[in-house]
Amino acid sequence: MINAGRFGRFAWRAIATSARCCLQRKTYPLVWTQMNIIGVRSVPVIMITGAFVGMTMAVQAYDQLAGMGLEEHLGVLINISVVKELGPVLAAVMLAGRVGGALTAELGTMNVTEQIDAVRSMGTDPIQYLVVPRFLACLFLTPVLIIYADLMGVVGGALVSFLQLGINSRAYWTFSANSVELWDVGIGIAKGFFFGGAIAIISCYKGFSCKEGAHGVGQACTDAFVASFISILAMDFALAVMFKNIYLTFWPLKSILG
Amino acid sequence: MEEWENQTEQTPEDGSSDVVIEVRNLTKKFGKKLVLDNISLSIEKGKATVIIGPSGCGKTVLIKHFIALQRPTAGEVYFQGQRIDDLSERDLNGIRTHFGYLFQEGALFDSLSVAENIMFPIRQHYKKVQWSEVEEVIKAKLAMVGLDGFQHYYPSNLSGGQRKRVALARAIALNPEVILYDEPTTGLDPIRSDIINELVLKLERDLNVTSVVVTHDMKSAYKVADRIVMLHNGRIIADGNTDHIRDHPHPQVQQFIHGQVSEDDLAVLRMSGDIATSQFLPRDFEG
Repeated sequence: MINAGRFGRFAWRAIATSARCCLQRKTYPLVWTQMNIIGVRSVPVIMITGAFVGMTMAVQAYDQLAGMGLEEHLGVLINISVVKELGPVLAAVMLAGRVGGALTAELGTMNVTEQIDAVRSMGTDPIQYLVVPRFLACLFLTPVLIIYADLMGVVGGALVSFLQLGINSRAYWTFSANSVELWDVGIGIAKGFFFGGAIAIISCYKGFSCKEGAHGVGQACTDAFVASFISILAMDFALAVMFKNIYLTFWPLKSILG
Repeated sequence: MEEWENQTEQTPEDGSSDVVIEVRNLTKKFGKKLVLDNISLSIEKGKATVIIGPSGCGKTVLIKHFIALQRPTAGEVYFQGQRIDDLSERDLNGIRTHFGYLFQEGALFDSLSVAENIMFPIRQHYKKVQWSEVEEVIKAKLAMVGLDGFQHYYPSNLSGGQRKRVALARAIALNPEVILYDEPTTGLDPIRSDIINELVLKLERDLNVTSVVVTHDMKSAYKVADRIVMLHNGRIIADGNTDHIRDHPHPQVQQFIHGQVSEDDLAVLRMSGDIATSQFLPRDFEG
């Protein structure tokens, strides 16, 4: 309960300070550096994850659909699953492992070697200097990385469908285009803001509250990944419910707008 | 009442306007562990106060209260007459620029070069300063600690003594009024230790700073101190100039300044028996 209170206060300070500092010029170089570490260096691993998700989906779903003579609808199943659920969730889980672990280890080591106290002793807010750049980088780049995962998932699924399973490409794309809406892609990307923000805040909090020694840092990294992973799944469920309700609320408008 | 109990707290500066830091009835607990027990202490401006005491007696915790890196469980902390222990982190940022803090292990940012480490506080507080001016300041501060030319080194490429000197250069980057040294000579060879001692004296002389040094190195304490305060079990048991401490009748003070093991500790060692014939040596588990 005490930890929940501390985490809540930390999260609030991180978000409030980010909102205050995101337009300050001195924040940009720090955010830029973190964007390179968090975003650019994660692109290969995120693309590989996305490609394999799409490829595996194609292989697994083909037999079910072919049994009903619906193999040309394979693209619908793959692409909706990838852009709505699997792309965002698996990209976020991959980021929680790759980026979250690194953030916790870096800040945890800084904490136990008194570097965070050193930042404070020089009259600088460690939240502003250390957390805000990482939070903003994760917040804005996770949706971008999800786009990469989606693209590679779509490409991977299509290649396996055409080259290995022999599905007609024209039919594959036509059915996909008719079924996958911009809304589906949009909610997948929108989830990225929530997942990215959660990964950054949880990982930074675990680093800041890390206990002494190598064991303390290792434990903080494990805790950060587990907490991020559970948060991603829980938020995915909550966001799925929320977006579905929004869709159902505004669905009648769609037919009016044509 | 024992003889030494009349001589434990000599506070010549009480009530003086030259007091720069003051703690009143400071108590600090971590969980149920009492680390500082009702401490009252004033630090005089322009003087070097050395806080000595055995490891784990609360020396570092005490000086962290001076800069509000730790908050008291009870009691008050004042800097230049202003209470600081109840200020928010944001309000403290301005006050902390009056301090330089040399951390025990240096606490240099290992992802930044020596120059970037020293530049850090300058960049944080002086937004419009030109790079050439910053470069000059870095050069001057490094020259002051005898490390000019090391600007492009990273902390991992420096020895322990060099890291401490760079950390000291960073601590004085903003020309602080008070410098807090946490174990500045620990882990250094005698020559490097003496270099650090000379640096402490030089900074006091050249910059007219107030120094607070936490140490258990008595040679260092005698060299730099105008006043020595001894902590034991979270309480001040001795306070005075070097001669006062040398002649202090408290047995813990004499034991500490002469580095002697107590009879109780010796008794424990004797009770543990002959180590060479111990049945729990690792070699007994071989093969």
